[in-house]
Amino acid sequence: MNAEKLEPGSEFSLAPRPMTRERMRWYVDAQPTIAADDGRIHTQEPTIHDDDEYARKQGLPGIIADGMISTNWILGLLIDVYGPAVAGRCKLRTKYVAPIYEDQIVITRARVTGVEPSGDGKACRLDVWCEDDAGTKLTTGEATVFV
Amino acid sequence: MATGGVVSDLDKGDVLGPVEYTLSPFVVREYSHAVEMHHPCFQGREGDLVMPPTLIHLDKLRLYKDACPGGTGPSARIHFEYDVEVFEPVRVGDRLSVRGDITDRYQKNGRDYVVLQMELTNVATGRLVVRYVDRVILAYRSAEKAA
Repeated sequence: MNAEKLEPGSEFSLAPRPMTRERMRWYVDAQPTIAADDGRIHTQEPTIHDDDEYARKQGLPGIIADGMISTNWILGLLIDVYGPAVAGRCKLRTKYVAPIYEDQIVITRARVTGVEPSGDGKACRLDVWCEDDAGTKLTTGEATVFV
Repeated sequence: MATGGVVSDLDKGDVLGPVEYTLSPFVVREYSHAVEMHHPCFQGREGDLVMPPTLIHLDKLRLYKDACPGGTGPSARIHFEYDVEVFEPVRVGDRLSVRGDITDRYQKNGRDYVVLQMELTNVATGRLVVRYVDRVILAYRSAEKAA
């Protein structure tokens, strides 16, 4: 573990990603594919995440990303920085404070807010969030990882 | 009690499941691929794979399928908060049991909110491995506008 990663105030981010129609659909179709668990791809009925007409009928201006995509991007960043042990012991809470629309740029970030002893190691507390290219928060949250 | 109907009828006190399943490598790899987590612990060799903590969110669909055979109901849900605590790694091949409890249902600004707490247990050890709280709005459009 690089000691710099543990310091309060240390900040990490992923490269900016556009929230494309494809990324939204990947998550939509992953759900029935995983439910079937038969090694084949399955597709879903229209949802607010992949069908503009259906989204508008639900009162939205168009398709929006499933919030779990941004949560997963945050988890991916934590594993990039702290390693696979994060998947086996952690706390992660995310809240979707603004919809993410097609082609919106999403930047995934984390900042260490505290480090304290925990068992034989340390617990690192972090603020985590996704923002657009204007700095507007889209997803907010906090995490604890154990190192 | 609203189990046996549709998801939008779920109410405080409802119990969903438990449902048992075995975590497969296909599920771990497919889910991680869909959300671009290309880490070896999620997309590597079968013996190295662990469950992404975010995958617990899809266990909600297992519970809904079992407890709400009528389907979603009249409106699309909006998931707005993910809150997980992972106590130990979950590995491919583990036999798991998931149970859900509807701990709250309330109205705010004309919208219905539902809180589902889920617990994932390793069947072989009997240990709680993941606890998850899922918060949703049952319809994006407020009751007033939908009328």
